Amino acid sequence: MHEMSYAEAILENLINLAERNNAREIKKAHLVIGELLLINPEQLEFCFRAISRETIAENCTLEIEFVKPEIRCVKCGKEFEAPAGVCECGGFVSVNGGKEMILKSVIMEVD
Amino acid sequence: MHKIEIDAEIDLLSENRRLAAENRKFLREHGIVAVNIMGAIGSGKTLLIEKTVEALKGIRIGVILGDVICRADYERVAAHEVKAEPVNTGKECHLDAHLINHRIQKFEDVDLLLIENVGNLICPVDFDLGEDFRVVMVSVTEGDDVVEKHPEIFRLADVIIINKVALAEFVEADVDKMERDAKNLNPEARIIRMDLKKDIGFDEWIEFLRGVLNVSGNSS
Repeated sequence: MHEMSYAEAILENLINLAERNNAREIKKAHLVIGELLLINPEQLEFCFRAISRETIAENCTLEIEFVKPEIRCVKCGKEFEAPAGVCECGGFVSVNGGKEMILKSVIMEVD
Repeated sequence: MHKIEIDAEIDLLSENRRLAAENRKFLREHGIVAVNIMGAIGSGKTLLIEKTVEALKGIRIGVILGDVICRADYERVAAHEVKAEPVNTGKECHLDAHLINHRIQKFEDVDLLLIENVGNLICPVDFDLGEDFRVVMVSVTEGDDVVEKHPEIFRLADVIIINKVALAEFVEADVDKMERDAKNLNPEARIIRMDLKKDIGFDEWIEFLRGVLNVSGNSS
């Protein structure tokens, strides 16, 4: 389960951001996650809940937006849903993106 | 009290990338070739390392062995009188650049650093350790659909080892299919058919390692 590593990175960055902005509470975090990271959102949520307890991110909602990689044949340009190897035309299928994890925006309560 | 929304735009994977770059710099400065060996539990990674250490006596080798909690693999490898370090991840089923960062200083005098990742085909994929080469080892006993079911790890490998080929007929695995799937996903990768217990393909692996050590000017 690699979700715990990602949950830790999310929490650490949220808390740093909250401290820099003198926030009291973190309400919502919007995440952009590449599909090829193979993140299970329920597991990520579970891990985040477990480690954020008794922090200012305790009640923070994770809003996850998954983004697709661009997978297409370099020869004929046909698009694929998943890394497909070789296209029917014999061309190699290249994969671009799908591996990002960006903390896009954060909503927090300040005095 | 009032709510504010902040455009954070923070790349959460940048910390691992930064540490991996730091590891890579250390390895370069000390002329060390690092190989990240990934693969499922029971695919044969530890035996591959044990045999490699024996076959390359004379070359200074270090081994980092990642495991969730146990020390069994470390003890097996350390018995070959090689510089070895266990790394227990505790909760995670992959090594990351941070875990390696804590250990590599101990290996500054080696030519070849073999890193045995934690046994699984998914989690280690996205954690660059700073290695020079990525190796994925699978065995025919995992089923001949194992490659197509885990495209990412094969897509990003430099060497793909299909182990236990002598057992293929007994487990009704089609090695040609496994090799074809691997080649389709990654035409650039070197694919080695191997059976460590029957000495099939092992020479090709050693030849690969000698090749990369020579290129880096580290071979003794």
